[in-house]
Amino acid sequence: MIYFDNAATTKYKPDEVIEAVNYYLRDVGVSPGRGSYSLGIEASRMLYKSRTAVGKYFGMSHPERVVFTKNSTEAINLLFKGLLKKGDHVIISCYEHNAVLRPLQDLKQKGIIDYSVISREDLGLEADTLLEKYANENTRMLALTLASNLTGRIIYKEDWMKFFHTKGIITFVDSSQGAGKLALNMTESQIDFLAFTGHKDLYGIPGVGGLCCESKAHFIPLIQGGTGIHGENYVNPDIFPEGYEAGTLNMPAIWALKTGIEFITAHSDTIRREEKALMTYLLQGLTDIDGVKVYDIENERVATCCFTIDDLSSDKTISLLDSKGICARGGIHCAILAHEAIGTVESGAVRISLNYKNKKAEIDQLLDTLRSR
Amino acid sequence: MHIVFYSTSDVFKAEEILNNENIECKVVPTPVQDKAYCGVCVETSDEKAKDIMGDMDFEVLE
Repeated sequence: MIYFDNAATTKYKPDEVIEAVNYYLRDVGVSPGRGSYSLGIEASRMLYKSRTAVGKYFGMSHPERVVFTKNSTEAINLLFKGLLKKGDHVIISCYEHNAVLRPLQDLKQKGIIDYSVISREDLGLEADTLLEKYANENTRMLALTLASNLTGRIIYKEDWMKFFHTKGIITFVDSSQGAGKLALNMTESQIDFLAFTGHKDLYGIPGVGGLCCESKAHFIPLIQGGTGIHGENYVNPDIFPEGYEAGTLNMPAIWALKTGIEFITAHSDTIRREEKALMTYLLQGLTDIDGVKVYDIENERVATCCFTIDDLSSDKTISLLDSKGICARGGIHCAILAHEAIGTVESGAVRISLNYKNKKAEIDQLLDTLRSR
Repeated sequence: MHIVFYSTSDVFKAEEILNNENIECKVVPTPVQDKAYCGVCVETSDEKAKDIMGDMDFEVLE
């Protein structure tokens, strides 16, 4: 089996990550922030270490200012629904995942906010021109994905973040695609909030994500419930981060995430070098096949790309690949804005997302299958 | 003395700070008070401890 769906979930986790899950379940097994017996205290200490590992990885000035959620979608909803107020305006790119689009559209349909979408043609604008064209007096946030989950194109721009931040506009990055592949420093880049998910490029397991809060702007919790502190209150205490983490945390996944980040930190050069070489090889091979169109091929990217074939629909292409034991993803990829931007809403597209553990021989098998269709 | 916090996360931040300063301390259950703090706190006998907590929100129970 050949796995090319790493943008959905990295299938092959480092042994250290798997062992971290086993260790937590086997040797700890209790929840942080609950019992104040020694093992419970140790669980809370492990949570703190995990929190600061994430914060340090993303270059936060106060690395403990991380709220854990179950994934980046929940983190994005937490921020948007907790922070945005009636009349606010948000600027997003045309490559945002539905995890960004849908909560904003929901708020818009409820008459709370409005948003504007930066067109594909305008992604190269200077920051001041972008502000002039897309912002209005109510603009409160610029929200950008780090990289497109469809084409792999890097969308995030540090100079946009810095410029909008200096204008008093909150800057937000959805790092679901690209965290672990691209180094971000929230402090230096003046990123106010960043959402991450554990199960993709950070090599964690499904069930953990979070919101890094460099800004101290106040927002309200997404859910109410037990926080392990101030149980005398009838609502969540207004205390960071526990007030935003009601309910039992997925601590085995959080501990595994910490281990995944340590793995990435130790192997970042190898990961980036291998993935870049594999992606270059793949793009060359795809463009040499008659009838194949690759999108955003000229742009800086992570190890993801997408293509269409003149004489084979995306669903049939996926079925063909699956018959050869190749896992890839077709359809809309939860990214309707991106498909609208590249003109593939009707056809869908085939996405190939690589991992440093893939082999050239696997890419050869993909290319041979497409050539012989 | 006990250094008590509203946030459990701050307890372990404090522990980290004290460990880095080689100040002996232990995380223990918070003594029951009329005011609610989180369930654990930092216990130490070193008076310097309360001076290096930075901007964290805490109280000292002697």
